[in-house]
Amino acid sequence: MAFDAKRFTARFVEEAREHIRRIEEGLAGLKTAPADQENLNAIFRSAHTVKGSARMLKFVSISQTAHHLEDVLGAMRDQGLAYSPELGRLLTRAVDGLAALIEGIESGADPGDLDQVLCADLVAALSAPGAGPQEAIVPAASPPDSGLPGKLAAASGTAPEVGFRSPDTVRVSLAKLDELIKLLGEVVSSHARLRQRLQDLHQIERLRARDLELLAAGDDVALSGSLRKFGRDLKDDVLAQELLMEELHGKALVMRMLALGMVFDSAPRLVRDLGRSLGKEVECVVSGAEIELDRQLIDRLGDPIVHLLRNAVDHGIEDPATRQRLGKPGYGTIRLTARQDAGGVAIEVGDDGAGVSLEAIRQQAVRKGLMTADQATALSDDQALDLIFRPGFSTQPIITDISGRGVGMDAVKRCIVDDLQGSIRIETEPGKGTSFILRLPLSLAVMRVLLVEAGGEILGFAAQQVAHLLRVPADRLVLVGDRKAIVLDNEIVPVLGLATLLSLPEPGRRLQASPLAGGAHPGGGLLLVIVQVRNEKLALAVDALVDEHDMVIKPLPPHLAGMALVSGMVVTGQKHLVSILSAQALLAMAGQARLDVRPGGAGETGRLSILVIDDSWNTREIEKDVLEAHGYDVTLAEDGRDGLQKALERQFDAVLTDVEMPHLDGFTLTATLRADERYRSTPILLITSRQKEEDKRRGIEVGADAYIVKGEFDQGSLVDTLRALLG
Amino acid sequence: MRVLVVDDDPLAAEMTAAVLEDAGFEAVQAESGTAALEVLSTDPSLELVVSDMNMPGISGLQCFQALRARGDERPFVLLSGDDPQALRASEPGLDACVRKDFDLESTLGQAIADVLAARRP
Repeated sequence: MAFDAKRFTARFVEEAREHIRRIEEGLAGLKTAPADQENLNAIFRSAHTVKGSARMLKFVSISQTAHHLEDVLGAMRDQGLAYSPELGRLLTRAVDGLAALIEGIESGADPGDLDQVLCADLVAALSAPGAGPQEAIVPAASPPDSGLPGKLAAASGTAPEVGFRSPDTVRVSLAKLDELIKLLGEVVSSHARLRQRLQDLHQIERLRARDLELLAAGDDVALSGSLRKFGRDLKDDVLAQELLMEELHGKALVMRMLALGMVFDSAPRLVRDLGRSLGKEVECVVSGAEIELDRQLIDRLGDPIVHLLRNAVDHGIEDPATRQRLGKPGYGTIRLTARQDAGGVAIEVGDDGAGVSLEAIRQQAVRKGLMTADQATALSDDQALDLIFRPGFSTQPIITDISGRGVGMDAVKRCIVDDLQGSIRIETEPGKGTSFILRLPLSLAVMRVLLVEAGGEILGFAAQQVAHLLRVPADRLVLVGDRKAIVLDNEIVPVLGLATLLSLPEPGRRLQASPLAGGAHPGGGLLLVIVQVRNEKLALAVDALVDEHDMVIKPLPPHLAGMALVSGMVVTGQKHLVSILSAQALLAMAGQARLDVRPGGAGETGRLSILVIDDSWNTREIEKDVLEAHGYDVTLAEDGRDGLQKALERQFDAVLTDVEMPHLDGFTLTATLRADERYRSTPILLITSRQKEEDKRRGIEVGADAYIVKGEFDQGSLVDTLRALLG
Repeated sequence: MRVLVVDDDPLAAEMTAAVLEDAGFEAVQAESGTAALEVLSTDPSLELVVSDMNMPGISGLQCFQALRARGDERPFVLLSGDDPQALRASEPGLDACVRKDFDLESTLGQAIADVLAARRP
């Protein structure tokens, strides 16, 4: 019979979140219209409601924080306490504190303790009308996580746990649904017309039977006349049907569109929380949140955007002291902007921080052994900037495997470019800031597809991966080393036969074995499809161009999803299934072909040698397989002592070692090797099953170059990291 | 006995209603002072009003004053997130003034019992 508060907790969290959102919106509005009474009223009411419900549910810290917030808002509304940017930031801080407490309930814990500093600041704001508590909001003066009560601050001592969520359902406006149903009605009547055509055809068949009887008389005018008419009608109907289907498909896709707000709305708080955890005051200004994208894109956009925001807060925005010395405002600003852009959407994450130092990037590239100092100097600015997307290229002291999928910016680029078919570009100005500009299609569902024929098969390419289509005389090709290539716009692009690369059988009719299987076109010359991924290009010789069309690319069924070469399937008009080839995979295969050639040509000495140390046989063998497949020469050692001995017997190009091993652990081994002249700068990768901050720190201390967690270990991240370190 | 619960915050309204229902009352909800005035003018079976103070449009206090102005003498309990003593002082005609709090179960129940006892002839 007792009143059960728990029953209402979930509701409270949900509604409090909505109020927080409204307060945030309202506070943003105050910036431009500080005296907007209606807005103030609305904010006040939301704070009041949260306070009331929290009290009834005995969430004391929430109720108290909301109470102090309400008092300040009340003073602004009724006692002429003037809005100032300082006061605005204090209010924002209060909302963040409130939100953190509310999220604390959600994660099952108590809402957490009252943030006394925050409350004192709010009270102080009341007694100093118009001024605001100056010293309290200079972050250097207060502990870095003072604004982050409860779980968030306690998480790990590093950045707070953050992420975006999108719901499983989509709300569709009635108007949109009505349009869709209206269109479906037309499809139904169009279908009725096709049924009529079927009857026409029966009629023609009957005519034909009669005409056969009359054929002796040489009279078949009736038949050919009705056949022609039938053909015309059918063509019209099919065209009409096609238009209808296109429109229907378009409308249905629109229903799956979500506003970017899904991703953007939580950005300001995320940025402030991250900033505070790093002792920086950072504001995030959002615009274009109303722009809609297919939810397939929205769902996957969260991670890269969080990463870019995190990156901007962490590396872009300087600490307050530095900013003040440079004459910048003490708080940093990050702009998250979206705008419609030539059939797609451009999203920009821009900060007003220090900018990226091209010099530091060049130095890092040399230090990592990616290139010589001369090569680094010769890089254009854009090329140098592009290096930050290289796996394992980080200006931080150690590489950490964040999500198991890759390393930092590399993962961002992979997601945007490979998964979402977009592009990413950096603009940076020293001292002024850095912008990452992402360009994305509105939807992934329909894509321009190019169908080609090679080795007797029809194969497809997604049009955005195709840079050029060329027909060139065979003598335009040049030989680079032992490989064919073509020079395009001052760039040397390797040329391979698509059929050869895919090991497709040569069509029987080709008697002469061409050096490039496929591509020798009867019309003269070679037909080349040049695919491009990021800066890498590859020219593929094909037999014929078949078609170019907007098509629905269907993903592979789950049991085939691991096939990197095929990114999806399309169904052609003849109901054939055609594989859409992934340009990334083709480039990788072409690269692999290059590696396969290398040992034979250059001999054993040309391969990089890797020492793999692990006390588990399985792990050793797997790592060996992966590395050998990528052309490395692998030597195995069974434990730290064995490893140390082998390492000192002969110089390896890189060392991969387990952490926990009998006799000598990975840390001690690393430290010992670093002390040896020959291993001072050799890449050493720690591979471990433990993901602990302190382990990572220890890894840095002993001088390891990378720290990869086994549980999240996949071939890609290991080889990518290794390649980045070895150049 | 039927009680009208007035609150613009549906969550608070439902919690208040839950408290009342646990105490054996039948609770009917209204989302604003205006809605309350309307329901009360047509439904004589509602014998008591429990209203939130702070609402957009007309406040709980204004709702009370409007009722009395039109001769409606049904007992009126005001709920508030703030100190109830000040409100009580500003409007002595109120039957009771209770703070919205986690112990609402006992405080509201007691207040209603007192009000009903005082009204009993």
